[in-house]
Amino acid sequence: MIYQIINMLDSKIGVKRAKAHCDVPCGIYDPSTAQIAALTVVRMMDLMADLEVKGDDKGTSYHNSMARYIDVKEEHAEKAKHEVRVIWGDYIKAQHVEQHPGLTDLVHKIMQLGSKSRQTADREAGVQFVEAINEFAQIFWETKGVATKRANAPYAPALEMVYPDL
Amino acid sequence: MFRLIKVTGESLSPFLKDGDYVLITTAPFLLKKINRGDLVVFHHDDVGMMIKKVAYVDPSLDALFVIGTHPSSVDSKQLGPISNNSIIGKVIWHIPSPV
Repeated sequence: MIYQIINMLDSKIGVKRAKAHCDVPCGIYDPSTAQIAALTVVRMMDLMADLEVKGDDKGTSYHNSMARYIDVKEEHAEKAKHEVRVIWGDYIKAQHVEQHPGLTDLVHKIMQLGSKSRQTADREAGVQFVEAINEFAQIFWETKGVATKRANAPYAPALEMVYPDL
Repeated sequence: MFRLIKVTGESLSPFLKDGDYVLITTAPFLLKKINRGDLVVFHHDDVGMMIKKVAYVDPSLDALFVIGTHPSSVDSKQLGPISNNSIIGKVIWHIPSPV
């Protein structure tokens, strides 16, 4: 009751704001980095599978290319996990979890799928990794009051992605 | 003597949340009695008006050091000591948002 009265007063006269920010004002959080990193993981899996089929001669060139694909896959799986952890730790608040009760399990699932994508060349795990981060992105944009849309990425592996519908 | 302030940000959660209001006193004689644990509103040259919790008061520097209560909050390690001249007021009443 008191809050509503003060809030109404605020809308009329404009009460001053005091910042209780966690980071010296930045507030720039965006799940797209994690989404692109996860997509890169699947792309590397595809390139690895392609090389395996085409690479009759398992010579130096084959090993060099395969090592590079694996290295990029490792790097981007970890990058995707890192980006999700930052949003989870620095942006997501208790009220967001209350509004989206499955969020904690979803973040845990992303961590697990990210690890599986590093440990294996299982494309299905990579695709699930992308989709789990898509779901995370959808929730993130909902907390911002931003509508989302789904569309296929305009580059290989052209998986379906969640984008803010600005 | 008194000012109403709205809190933005979550660095003092769970005590103060984004959208809460606080009533502060600006009475000089009360601002001389700031203690560890008090919530203070102050001016920071780079950031503007901020609200934080007092970690400790250093009389020799004529300044105090502040913290947030959220794990990723900025504090005096980033903001530096807050001089007594920068203190605008001390929180005396908290009006939480009903969320």
